[in-house]
Amino acid sequence: MQSPPDGLSRRSFLRSSAVLASGLAALAASLAPLRHLNDFPTVEQFLQKYYKELTPEEMKKVLRRIEDEVEREYGLRPHVRDLKPMNGVEFVYALNLTRCIGCRKCVHACVAENNQSRNPEIQYIRVLRLPHGSLDMEKAEHNYNPEMVPEKGYFYMPVQCQQCKNPPCVKVCPVHATWQEADGITVIDYNWCIGCRYCAAACPYWARHFNFTKPSIPKERLNLDMAYLGNRPRRQGVMEKCHFCVQRTRVGRYPACVEVCPVGARKFGNILDPESEVSYILRTKRVFVQLKEELGTSPRFFYYFDV
Amino acid sequence: MTKDNRTGTVLLVLAVVFFALGLKFVSGFGTRLPATRIISLVDTQFLDTATFRKSYAELIREKADLSDFDCYACHEKGKPPVLKFDAQQTLIVPKEHEDVVMKHGTHNRNNNCFNCHDEQNLELLQARDGRQIKLAESPLLCGSCHGPTYRDWEAGAHGRTGGYWDRTAGPMKRQICVDCHNPHSPKIPPRKPAPGPHLLHPVASVAAEASH
Repeated sequence: MQSPPDGLSRRSFLRSSAVLASGLAALAASLAPLRHLNDFPTVEQFLQKYYKELTPEEMKKVLRRIEDEVEREYGLRPHVRDLKPMNGVEFVYALNLTRCIGCRKCVHACVAENNQSRNPEIQYIRVLRLPHGSLDMEKAEHNYNPEMVPEKGYFYMPVQCQQCKNPPCVKVCPVHATWQEADGITVIDYNWCIGCRYCAAACPYWARHFNFTKPSIPKERLNLDMAYLGNRPRRQGVMEKCHFCVQRTRVGRYPACVEVCPVGARKFGNILDPESEVSYILRTKRVFVQLKEELGTSPRFFYYFDV
Repeated sequence: MTKDNRTGTVLLVLAVVFFALGLKFVSGFGTRLPATRIISLVDTQFLDTATFRKSYAELIREKADLSDFDCYACHEKGKPPVLKFDAQQTLIVPKEHEDVVMKHGTHNRNNNCFNCHDEQNLELLQARDGRQIKLAESPLLCGSCHGPTYRDWEAGAHGRTGGYWDRTAGPMKRQICVDCHNPHSPKIPPRKPAPGPHLLHPVASVAAEASH
């Protein structure tokens, strides 16, 4: 048998076609996981402007769109607002280490209020258990699980976003998706976040949490009172963190963790008001620590002791 | 074997491997997704914002059964009850009041009902300076001994807060002493903690601790 002059025999043609076909099949198969990508942003989401550039009319449209999205997903119509900082208000948090019993009610009240993912879990508050007489974070344990709290020989130190005056997370954000507002709350525009997680690496308090998967929130536990910069449901691939419950505090209410604390260890208020509890505490109590104050982050979250 | 033949064999093997891989990807055969653990929803008791107990003032507000506070259903008016003590001079709590646990203060310091209750009128309280205080106004009595705590409570630094921090927007919800503290045994009893964070990869030492 003699090959045709152009060098393409019947056999080599069949072989190359088989290889090409399998190659295409393999390529198609490797793209198969894309079929499971259901949380793809819509055109409106994709083209939405930066929070600070939205005009009030555009904001209104965006809020209605978010309400529609939530309704489509959960079958419940939420009330989403865009709340601005109040004039003459700077929020400060004070936590009484003498009182805290480590019951973790704040953790779960926060999850319920702020629509955090239940599985996998995202929790803004971590309660550390430390042996008496030490503030060595190396000795801290947050997986403690005794029958009863408080335990002898330990004290408890809940840690959440410290709402720093000099926030390292804001400095590293390459797209300005997170910033500090006039009332001291560092917020995130979830639609502007690109999910690079630089902020999580920069935060010395482990306060920022990333949605590695699509968050799962059971419909019956969805909190329908939502804010754009606060507790509206997040998407996969964005960062989230404690925002002092902006949907509550910017309408004058206390955060969920303050209301649920059974021993009154958590105190919150406007530091610019000399009559507020936090002003009284910072004036009269042994306010011993801003956590890791040597880092110069200058938290608005203070730990104090009674007596 | 000619060069052309070798190339052909390699191509054929590649084709077979690609095809098998393609089949595997599409069918998902042998792919094990990372096991997701089942995390049950937290018990709603941990989301409850209620106080440890209910004060007399709260019971009045709720129009609850107040028969426990009707002293003169059993006691006789104008006849102060007589207290009995054992050999160690410890108060013997009568059977009718056996739900009362006398654990206010250490070293048996509070060993007398009439440190707080008014013996002349059992429906009232009495401060150490002789002032008579209504049950619903009990913080005044507590404050007559616990001065610094009373001062903190008045400033909002002791005790639970709820409602509105901004007084112009709404009322602040405060609790009185006996909403949380049992006056006869004020130390708040230990309680069960809410579940801790679920680790993605359980650590042996943690699992051991969780089970003990």
